Amino acid sequence: MAERGVLRLGGRSFAAGEFALMAIVNRTPDSFFDRGATFATEAAHQAIDQAVADGADLVDIGGVKAGYGEPVSEDEELRRTVDFVAGIRARHPELVISVDTYRSGVARRVAEAGADLINDTWAGADPEVAAVAAEFGTGLVCSHVGGLSPRTDPHRMAYDDVVADVIRTTTALADRAVAAGVRPDGILIDPTHDFGKNTLQSLELTRRLDELAATGWPVLVAVSNKDFIGETLELPPGQRGNGTLAALTVSAWLGARVFRVHDVPAARQALDLVAVLRGTAQPAGTRRSLA
Amino acid sequence: MPVVSAAVCPHPPLLVPEIASGAAPELDDLRAKCLSAVEHLSVADRLLVLGSGTAATSYDGSAGGSFGAYGAPGVRLGTGAAVLPLSLAMGGWLIEQTKAAGLPRSYVAVPTDARPARCLELGREIAAGTDRIGLLVMGDGSARRSEHSPVHLHPRAEIFDTTVARALDRADSAVLAALDPDLAADLHAAGRAPWQILAGVLETGLSGDLTYHAAPYGIGYFVASFT
Repeated sequence: MAERGVLRLGGRSFAAGEFALMAIVNRTPDSFFDRGATFATEAAHQAIDQAVADGADLVDIGGVKAGYGEPVSEDEELRRTVDFVAGIRARHPELVISVDTYRSGVARRVAEAGADLINDTWAGADPEVAAVAAEFGTGLVCSHVGGLSPRTDPHRMAYDDVVADVIRTTTALADRAVAAGVRPDGILIDPTHDFGKNTLQSLELTRRLDELAATGWPVLVAVSNKDFIGETLELPPGQRGNGTLAALTVSAWLGARVFRVHDVPAARQALDLVAVLRGTAQPAGTRRSLA
Repeated sequence: MPVVSAAVCPHPPLLVPEIASGAAPELDDLRAKCLSAVEHLSVADRLLVLGSGTAATSYDGSAGGSFGAYGAPGVRLGTGAAVLPLSLAMGGWLIEQTKAAGLPRSYVAVPTDARPARCLELGREIAAGTDRIGLLVMGDGSARRSEHSPVHLHPRAEIFDTTVARALDRADSAVLAALDPDLAADLHAAGRAPWQILAGVLETGLSGDLTYHAAPYGIGYFVASFT
């Protein structure tokens, strides 16, 4: 097994215990949370500049709404992502650029344009994605969607043990990626909350995230504003920020390493505090009752 | 008259309050209609529960069922390992809450792709028995009824479900028997094969009463009683 302590993405290295924050920037007109706020190129660039200023280590660019929606051709996905990735690379030479795609054709073109990580949210639906990651030396996210096809929604997904299923699936994808030549220190596993899961199952994954962390693969969590938080608190997408921070905090405490979020400043604060609680970082300054 | 009473109910896990949590009241009406239909089966001497599964399998009344796979491990029925497919576990769960719970019971799973002719034949065999049977037929309509359905809207879903609803209400064996298995599969209508077994039973002349037909989550649910 390769050295799994350090995660290397682009020019950055994230040591064990260090939390990496991934800002979501969608190049879609219809994603569930932002509803097209960063569909236009200039708005998207400004969102990235702001995310970097707020403490994002990575940005995750998506050209296709994850859930069911209008079909997006590969050509259209390329139009939404490739030049944009090149533009980000020019503006932010050090920023780790992730692209959320399940198509190897898109993965190849964004890797050429400077992407450092392929976030294959649909769990290897296109097995060539791993080959592209291997060829270009990018990282790869290995996801769990319970066997769903891309862009479909779960219906009565059943698992004897959802955590065991996630571990089995994501580690098999990670092993397959290593066999395909992907850098082991660039591979992440993602339980992929909500995808192919009901709320009770996503809650169970969150509760037992330490079991995923114990596999040794760095765990990415994407809980931000998702339905399992909304259903738990009975809140619509615009009001799930506090619940998101709670899920994020517990995930961090249980060993997640990379956090995909909409609200970067809030997540950065929460993760900075958890890092200190875990003893992997020091408080910024401690004067109270000490002078 | 071997099948003395029959009922049709849907089988969404959401019917189980422990799974639905705070959403449980949304299905109070459906749950009550299901329990009322199942209650009517208690005039029989024994119960047979039919539902779709991955293979043709029979189970005795003590067979285990669990809702753990959907997130509620505390909700179980029967003994031993949880072997019942969802449709039959839901049927058993409904029965347990009625006075029909005291009757001897067995379960039959029918493959979702069972041929209509085979289903009809099975229905006729059940109807030709000598026991006074209460038949609980578990089946859902199309899971493609709306833009927010688990599987996206199909233009033929609503007319398919309406056809089924009318046939259940009229105990119209011929219409149920004629449901196209390929269309039903395309529409993700899990009830097609069990309803076609019912069609074989209904040839004996039971009359129907549809008490619920709606798609509150984009999936067609039906409740009907036959006496």
